[in-house]
Amino acid sequence: MADEDYNDLDMGYEDEPPEPEIEEGAEEDPENNANEDVPGDLVEGEDKEEPEPVERPRKTSKYMTKYERARILGTRALQISMNAPVMVELEGETDPLEIAMKELRQRKVPFTIRRYLPDGSYEDWGVDELIVEDSWKRQVGGD
Amino acid sequence: MFFHIVLERNMQLHPRHFGRNLRDNIVAKLMKDVEGTCSGRHGFVVAITGIENIGKGLIRDGTGFVSFPVKYQCVVFRPFKGEILEAVVTMVNKMGFFAEAGPVQIFVSNHLIPDDMEFQSGDMPNYTTSDGSVKIQKDSEVRLKIIGTRVDATEIFCIGTIKDDFLGVINDPAAA
Repeated sequence: MADEDYNDLDMGYEDEPPEPEIEEGAEEDPENNANEDVPGDLVEGEDKEEPEPVERPRKTSKYMTKYERARILGTRALQISMNAPVMVELEGETDPLEIAMKELRQRKVPFTIRRYLPDGSYEDWGVDELIVEDSWKRQVGGD
Repeated sequence: MFFHIVLERNMQLHPRHFGRNLRDNIVAKLMKDVEGTCSGRHGFVVAITGIENIGKGLIRDGTGFVSFPVKYQCVVFRPFKGEILEAVVTMVNKMGFFAEAGPVQIFVSNHLIPDDMEFQSGDMPNYTTSDGSVKIQKDSEVRLKIIGTRVDATEIFCIGTIKDDFLGVINDPAAA
C-alpha cells in the first residue's frame, strides 16, 4: 500500500530526493525503478546528449530550403542533360532545368537529402517528403 | 589457391544508366571492371558469383555521377609459396622456361630443373633427359612447386621449381 502511494507521488515530482518519510531500505528499489521508467517513456521530452545516425524522430524543418532546392534542381538538371531517364511525362519541354523543375513540382525527383547537423549526425529526407515553398517564383518558363 | 570471398567496391555510374534496370547496369559494369583484374592483396579475380548487396548511392558533386557501394562474392586465385600447381609451358630458353597456370606466369630457372635434363636448342627448344624419355617443350604440361612470389599492386609473378619428388612433366603433347 505504502509503495503505491509513494510511486504515485514520485510520478508527480520528477527528481525529488527521497523523502524523510521513507525509513526502510527496501523502499529504494521501487523508487529507482520508477525513476528509470520516467525518462524511458519520454524519449522526446529530454534532449539526449549522444547523437547517433540511427533511426529516431527527425527534428529538422519539413520545408525544403532554397539551397536544397537549388542544389537538387542543378544536380537533377545536370543528370537529365546527361541522358538520365526522365521521371515525368514531357509535353515538349527540352530544357533540362525546366524538366527538373517539372519533376520537382510533381515530387518525382529520385533523390534523398542528407542533412548533416553540427554534431556530425544526419537526417535523411526524401525529396517527396519535403514541402517546397515556391515563394521564389523565378522559374525558367514557369507557368 | 582459390578463395570464395566477399569484396566491396564503389561503382561510379553514369546518369544514362539510371532507370528501372539500374541494378543490372551496376552488375554488368562491375563484371566488366573487376573480372580478370589482379590485386596484390586478394589475387586474380576469376569470376563474380553473386551480389551481396548494393548500398545507397551517393551523388558526386559537379559530375552528376552516382557512386554505389557494392558488396559482391567472387572467386579469386592467389598463388602461395610452397603451393603445387599444374601449368602449361609457354616459352623455353637456355635460362629456363616460362609456364602459365591460368592467369599467373611462373618462371622455372634451369637451376631448378633436374640436373639430368639438358637444354636442346633448335626451332623447338626443349629440356630433355639424357635418354630422351622426358622432354619439356612448349605446350607441355608440368607439375611444379612455387618457391617464390613477387606481388605488385596489379601483378603477381612466381618462381617455380621442378627439382623435387613427383614434379615434372605430366603430359607431353609431342608424345601423344
